[in-house]
Amino acid sequence: MAKENNSMQRHMGMRAANAISNTLIYILLIVISVIWLIPFVFILLQSLRVESTWQVGYVVPRQWGFDNYVRLLSTNFPKWYLNTLIMALVTAVLQTVIVLCMSYTLSRFRFKMRKPLMQFMLILGMFPGMLTMIILYRVLKDLGMTQANAVPGLILVYVASSGMGYYVSKGFFDTIPKSLDEAARVDGATRAQVLYKIILPLAKPIVIYTILTAFMGPWGDFVFARYISMGTAAGMNVAVGLNNWLNLDQIGNNYTMFCAGGVVVAIPVTILFMCLQRYYVEGVTGGAVKG
Amino acid sequence: MKHYSDLEYLKLSKWQRFGYRVASFFAGIPKAIWNFIKRIGLLLKTIALVVANEAKDIWSTFVQGDWKTKVSYLVMGFGCLARGQILRGLLFLLFELVFIGYMVVTGVYWLRMLPSLGIQGPMKEYNAIYDTYVTTYHDNSFKILLYGVLTLFFIIAFLYTWRANVKQNKLAEQILRAGKKLKSGKDDLRSLVDDQFHKTLLALPMTGIIVFTVLPIVFMILVAFTNYDGAHDGYNNNLFTWVGWKNFNTMLNWSSGNKTYSATFGEVLTWTLIWAFFATFSNYFLGMLVAMMINKKGIRLKKLWRTVLVMTIAIPQFISLLYVSKMFAKNGLINLFLLDHGLIQQGHELPFWENPTWARITVILINIWIGIPYLMLIATGILMNIPADLYESAKIDGASGWQQYTKITLPYMLFITGPYLLTSFTSNMNNFNVIFLLTGGGPTNAALSTAAGNVGHTDLLITWLFKITTGEEAQYYLASVVGIMVFVVIAVISLVVYNFLPSIKNEEDFQ
Amino acid sequence: MASVKLTNVKKIYDNKVVAVHDFNLDIKDKEFVVFVGPSGCGKSTTLRMVAGLEEISEGTVEIDGEVVNDLQPKDRNIAMVFQNYALYPHMTVYDNIAFSLRLQKMPEDVIYNKVTNAAEILGITEYLMRKPRALSGGQRQRVAIGRAMVRDSKVFLMDEPLSNLDAKLRNQMRAEIILLRQKLDTTFIYVTHDQTEAMTLGDRIVIMKDGYIMQVGTPTEVFEKPENLFVAEFIGAPKMNILRTNLMKAGDKYYVMPFGAKIEVDGEKGKLLREKKIEGGEVLLGVRPEHIVLAKEAGEHAIPVTLEVNEMMGSELHLHVFTEDGTRLIVRVPTIDLDNEQRENLVNGAKLFITFEGKVMHFFDPETEKNLIY
Repeated sequence: MAKENNSMQRHMGMRAANAISNTLIYILLIVISVIWLIPFVFILLQSLRVESTWQVGYVVPRQWGFDNYVRLLSTNFPKWYLNTLIMALVTAVLQTVIVLCMSYTLSRFRFKMRKPLMQFMLILGMFPGMLTMIILYRVLKDLGMTQANAVPGLILVYVASSGMGYYVSKGFFDTIPKSLDEAARVDGATRAQVLYKIILPLAKPIVIYTILTAFMGPWGDFVFARYISMGTAAGMNVAVGLNNWLNLDQIGNNYTMFCAGGVVVAIPVTILFMCLQRYYVEGVTGGAVKG
Repeated sequence: MKHYSDLEYLKLSKWQRFGYRVASFFAGIPKAIWNFIKRIGLLLKTIALVVANEAKDIWSTFVQGDWKTKVSYLVMGFGCLARGQILRGLLFLLFELVFIGYMVVTGVYWLRMLPSLGIQGPMKEYNAIYDTYVTTYHDNSFKILLYGVLTLFFIIAFLYTWRANVKQNKLAEQILRAGKKLKSGKDDLRSLVDDQFHKTLLALPMTGIIVFTVLPIVFMILVAFTNYDGAHDGYNNNLFTWVGWKNFNTMLNWSSGNKTYSATFGEVLTWTLIWAFFATFSNYFLGMLVAMMINKKGIRLKKLWRTVLVMTIAIPQFISLLYVSKMFAKNGLINLFLLDHGLIQQGHELPFWENPTWARITVILINIWIGIPYLMLIATGILMNIPADLYESAKIDGASGWQQYTKITLPYMLFITGPYLLTSFTSNMNNFNVIFLLTGGGPTNAALSTAAGNVGHTDLLITWLFKITTGEEAQYYLASVVGIMVFVVIAVISLVVYNFLPSIKNEEDFQ
Repeated sequence: MASVKLTNVKKIYDNKVVAVHDFNLDIKDKEFVVFVGPSGCGKSTTLRMVAGLEEISEGTVEIDGEVVNDLQPKDRNIAMVFQNYALYPHMTVYDNIAFSLRLQKMPEDVIYNKVTNAAEILGITEYLMRKPRALSGGQRQRVAIGRAMVRDSKVFLMDEPLSNLDAKLRNQMRAEIILLRQKLDTTFIYVTHDQTEAMTLGDRIVIMKDGYIMQVGTPTEVFEKPENLFVAEFIGAPKMNILRTNLMKAGDKYYVMPFGAKIEVDGEKGKLLREKKIEGGEVLLGVRPEHIVLAKEAGEHAIPVTLEVNEMMGSELHLHVFTEDGTRLIVRVPTIDLDNEQRENLVNGAKLFITFEGKVMHFFDPETEKNLIY
């Protein structure tokens, strides 16, 4: 009897402990969710504030309205937005092509220079990319692709070296069995046919992941965009433009407008991202596991 | 140091084992260094051997070749043309003509100027027509350096092509002697989508990398040996020229007192490493923790929790970083809120960005906020891949929840994510966005600032580099020294970690 | 339909590992040749060199008299079945089988006829619109074969096509491959690590080890006349027993002396020993388990052993025994030869007497491991 009691107590204890730990976890998860979401809720609320344009000690507007959004239209913001959108679209297409070429080749072909090439790119990647800005700026300036014309110059900068970011998609290609390529080649396909008849249809998740990350790049780029546009408003992207509104001399007038701009930038990108979330998650986890 | 056999090692106590492993790690360092040196020696030897073999082969091809081959040594592609491989021959010939044309027209000039980086800078000259002095511009150091490097690249490419041309002749002779047919231009084109498809695919990406990364990096490495800065921009005001190792001496000379570049470099490097360490590992462990909480059996709404976190990835970082930065500012939301409610006094605002220690802790905390969603995703992916039977067998063996974590989950995670941790560490060292958008490097470090612009307590090497190039004096040569130092630090860390990383050493352990 | 000829074929990998040494083989038109050997022996590499999936380091491969070394796989007119089937996951079964025909730009109605025809032969007509994911292992295997079948290729290559199937399905598919071969009437090269498959399928078997050919011959030849110790041990299950013992010549007769017993070598083996003028001395004696018989009682040619494990296989018993000096042997006894009492006595630890059939023994040189009489 005593033994049975004991074991019953143990079972009860386990269940109770489990319930306590689950409750704790729920509380923690709720706290985490709140912490992670709150700044975004704040941005949204402050973008709707009408009574003042500077920072205040409360969040909920005393007077609601879309004034900040309307004001956005009379600034350079539409121009920045358009710049960023063009860059994002063009970069998404070109960068995807380049990354896929690179990663497919490194995953599938065994040529003499393959290993040295990969090591070379690894070493190249250890140099801070920003260092190259100085020379790229001057060269692009000579080509007339800076300041107001920064958009083509920036696209060139984003796309040109994107081949070095081949790791994630190469990791994905590596998981597609090689025997599929071989079977297709025996079946009479050239290497090029293998790529677009067999591999690309199977690589849909990673193609979407690559497009998505390439598309999001220009929205968040700050360094290169700032350097190439060099203070000329017409050539800025949203990140550089909006950042200027938070400079000490402008923040008093433009703080709430910054919030409005942030919302306008975040909403479409976030919607797109959430739609394609599955592919993004796949890419991130796969990439990290393969190193 | 005494070396234990496997069985002897197993007899040691826990602490003895630990001590033994630490000791053998340090005892192994000289050997590792020696191996590294040996590897470099071997590499040099291989290179010398390859060069010697190439030279021998070029000579023997010439001696044994027919007249078509011999002419090809001067007129590239002649052999191909003479043997009916029109396409190849024309391409070789065209390349040679372009090369010679380029060298004659400009290449020689750039090469000649490269040692001096220009002789005559801009000067005021008397203009008789307007009866005034006008500035006329002459040599351009920047272009000389750039095109000089480009010309060197071109020469290397030419030598390589010339060598390929010679090889072609040898091969063609061999094939013809064996009584087989040479590939026609049509075959060549077809092979570009088949057995040579990789060359087609790599052409565009590699061109981009060479022009936009390799060339600039070579250029910037060379800049570190010049005095290129705002006052010597090479064209508009003064020429710049070679200065040897001077800039490295300036940056690394520890003897002189405070407010030197070396002191600034040391301080900034130290903070960069501290930052990278905390940024990487705080995210790593907390991200894993969150992932484990969400994935725990019996927790509902898994998808909701995950979506909330993933959504924060979607919002462009600059928005969240800038917003949070202002939120914590002296007159930002938090301080104003506390003031309004009388929780703090005017003039006693919380110094999130003003006090060095506060600022450093705040950036690390905010970086956790930024980074956890990514780590949560990665950890979730890996956690779900850990075979369930490992846990089942551990449970049967009597492991508690904590023991399961330390004996199974953690080793598995660390093993799988070892390389990721390394890249994450190095990318945190170069995490420009987080630092620059949050603090701009501030608060200003008065003790160091005069040396190289406005250096702050949260400045990383990379933000310091940015400040140097965009500052008043625009000391590009110093920026490039800093960039090279960043490379050296990252390379050393990578090399050491790679040599001790279990995922590299015992690749099969968990598979 | 074509002959395949490999001359001095060699495969050296970049890291200087030699996978195949000097491989010479002449495969006749419509012959079914099996490459067999343990993993890492170079059999798959050789096959892949014929297919064009591996570069040939040295030597030549000819198909139908034409050297194909520099041809891409697609230009060699071969068909191949892979171990893991290599079905294209994003295509239906129909599209999988039709893939190669479409690449040849055949008209769709011809493709339709060919694919449905092949599907009927293989019994997969009802799955034509399914994706490979929705098929069982055996069905996938059939699709893979179908894909190779429709090509009307000169040579049919199969790389361990059955090793991913379970034992029962494997036996069934093996029989089907024999039928398929009769229907297709073309040249086959088949790679396997399983000697049973090799013996049942091949017209000729090529046994390989560490990149070398150990023996080429018909199933009967390699079983009855193994050229060396490796082939003797590799072919046949359970494995041949190998003992180090003395071969003694006494006048015209030969005796082996295992474990103190004295057994005469008679029949053809004795004749061959005489013809080869073998002088005797230490040899490696090979005796297949089925050529060891239980003796009634002690005697000159009886060896006392102790039973360790008795495996009941149904139609036969595999007795694992050890001799007085601890050497382990396997004895294979047809169940039908034993009455109930005898069977009940075969318990662990039982003391038995065994002897060898003198006319079916093999003798190998202890140094070179070569068969002394073949």
